[in-house]
Amino acid sequence: MSILEYNGAAIIAMAGKNCVGIAADTRLGVQAQTVACDFKKVFKMGDKLFVGLAGLASDVQTLDQLLTFRKNLYELKEEREMKPKVFSAMLSSILYEKRFGPYFAEPVVAGLDDDGKPFLSAMDLIGAPVYTDDFVVSGTCTGNLYGMCETLYKPDLEPDDLFETLAQALLASVDRDALSGWGGVVHIITKEGVTSRELKGRQD
Amino acid sequence: MSEFTASETPESIAPPPAGFSFENVKRNAAISASGTTGAYTQAKAMKTGTTIVGTIFKGGVVLGADTRATGDTTVCDKNCEKIHYMAPNIYCCGAGTAADTEKTTELIASQLELLRMSTKTQSRIVTACTLLKRMLFRYQGHVSAALVLGGCDINGPHVYQIYPHGSTGKLPYTTMGSGSLAAMSVFESEWKEDMTEDEAKGLVERAITAGIFNDLGSGSNCDTCVIRMDGSIQMNRGALKENPVEPLRDAIKRSDRFNFPRGTTAVLSTEFVAHKTKGLSLDDVDVVTMDTN
Amino acid sequence: MIILPNIEGDSAYSFSLTTFSRTGKLLQIEYALNAVSNGRLSLGIATSDGVVIATDKKVSSPLIDVDNVGKISEIEKGMGFVYSGLGPDARVVVRDARKKAKSYKLMYGEEKTVTEVVKSTASLMQQYTQSGGVRPFGCSILAAGLDENNTPLLYQVDPSGVFMGWRATAIGKGYVSAKGFLEKRWNEDMGIEDGIHTALLTMREGFEGEITGKNIEVGVLRKDTGEFKVLTEEEVQDYLNESS
Repeated sequence: MSILEYNGAAIIAMAGKNCVGIAADTRLGVQAQTVACDFKKVFKMGDKLFVGLAGLASDVQTLDQLLTFRKNLYELKEEREMKPKVFSAMLSSILYEKRFGPYFAEPVVAGLDDDGKPFLSAMDLIGAPVYTDDFVVSGTCTGNLYGMCETLYKPDLEPDDLFETLAQALLASVDRDALSGWGGVVHIITKEGVTSRELKGRQD
Repeated sequence: MSEFTASETPESIAPPPAGFSFENVKRNAAISASGTTGAYTQAKAMKTGTTIVGTIFKGGVVLGADTRATGDTTVCDKNCEKIHYMAPNIYCCGAGTAADTEKTTELIASQLELLRMSTKTQSRIVTACTLLKRMLFRYQGHVSAALVLGGCDINGPHVYQIYPHGSTGKLPYTTMGSGSLAAMSVFESEWKEDMTEDEAKGLVERAITAGIFNDLGSGSNCDTCVIRMDGSIQMNRGALKENPVEPLRDAIKRSDRFNFPRGTTAVLSTEFVAHKTKGLSLDDVDVVTMDTN
Repeated sequence: MIILPNIEGDSAYSFSLTTFSRTGKLLQIEYALNAVSNGRLSLGIATSDGVVIATDKKVSSPLIDVDNVGKISEIEKGMGFVYSGLGPDARVVVRDARKKAKSYKLMYGEEKTVTEVVKSTASLMQQYTQSGGVRPFGCSILAAGLDENNTPLLYQVDPSGVFMGWRATAIGKGYVSAKGFLEKRWNEDMGIEDGIHTALLTMREGFEGEITGKNIEVGVLRKDTGEFKVLTEEEVQDYLNESS
């Protein structure tokens, strides 16, 4: 077993029409034993910027702290908001700096850039970036997630439809993965604000 | 006197630590040894799989690459860029661990630009090759980047291959990556000296196509890049698109079961947080000219 | 056995050389500013569609190969520095700025803004006023660049670590009268071509001897291309011919 699968996770980020969504399960496990079902894996980095971290829970939290710190430092120094593109590049550099002793986490970045266009990226644990304009996934059931997204994804979804698509893709995927599930959260980011919903999921 | 003296290199003006951080290495070694049911396996990084090629022709160089990135056996990126910028007259194809090819070429491209700024001369392909091989040799193959470097300088068009351990070869044509054998079979049967640009481009496209269809690690599209002796560059992202996604997606008769009406998903709680407004701007107020009389 | 105290060769000199005088002045910094105002004149003008920086590069002997004298340096795409004062000191500043701009690009994937470059250059200069074993830089810098909204900006950085933005300014020998001249000439809707001519006109004021493409250097940053270019001798000469 890989240490990336120690705690379990499933994360999707998907683009819609002038909106972007990010969904994650909430299980924290120690291998097969579930420890908590309200574990946070998606972190708000800015008004229109979220990062999802799948992997070893301790590194998920360490990276969240490190990223918040680095982003705040940047914004104080430069007196401007960090753009999703810049955030993603910084995250990639942070991960690659530890090329030979990596953090065990695979991030997903979702945000809206200045002109309201969706930004999506995903990375492996040493920071190799993948940029797409439809969806990115990460976690212990990427096969399931990819399958669901390839089937359910439609371009230019409205925020409410994007939510349903994300939620259904996530719930269906985690039901066939023993390591993730036990509830979920979906954040839909629009120009106006962020809608966060807690999902009712299977507790097994 | 000692309380008035500073250490030999004043800390405040010493450069910040550069290069890799090995902070987590011991911890990670402890983690991988600690598995209750045997050791944890090495976490897998993303690979490019890859077919990359390069050849010279009469007036320049053509580089080619597929666009698939894989994580284990999953396709992570269907349209990634493997032809990296090194200098205005030099490009470099990368195969191996995705992060390594990406960051190594980025780092050397950056060093080349600094060098160009201080020497005020065009970068040479040998220089790029030497910087790359030194970096790779220093890390003894642990930075796993297999590269095809190509470009034109005052000495003419050049193609170099660079192995992850730092060995290099200067060749008229070369292939690298998991699809290198498929691509080389095309080169070996069809390559000839002093090809025209169109011949070279066609040959590169056929070689990459051989990789895309015969090597599982390679797939999707074929990118090419032509670097000519006159200094012009032609980057063809998706020069050949033989596996387009759109028609496949469009061909799906989407069942209505996949169009979820709003309210399908059971929700425990909903919360809307409006973005913080960043205070007032000039757009929010009527600007009246000041009375200066 | 006698244990000798561990005194390294030059530790006796590694205390800060910049110390306050009783009147609260840092004389070393004032001396550094003198080195700047003894240096050749440099000036900069920020216009609505670009920035121009220019400098006097007269040499002390006709035997010196002027083609190899370059006082204007590109820091990254769309940004340039010019200095007045000690050339070798400026070289250190330029090298540091280039390197930091490059590592910023590697970290954040986009170019460092001129404001950030100026801030780090200023902080380098400040560190050399407070560290042991070093002296302040003997040069001031004028930096031309664009901000994130593509607005042309001109900055000045002094040996003390002070930095400030300008619409137009001058440093080096004769900077007071050059600044006075610029104050009269600068206006809000000046274009880059106007800027270049004004720069040359200001250089010509109080220039010892005949001004040619050989003895001045001009760097131009254009907003539309976003590129910084040092003009060739011929290009400068053409501008000079146009205005006379």
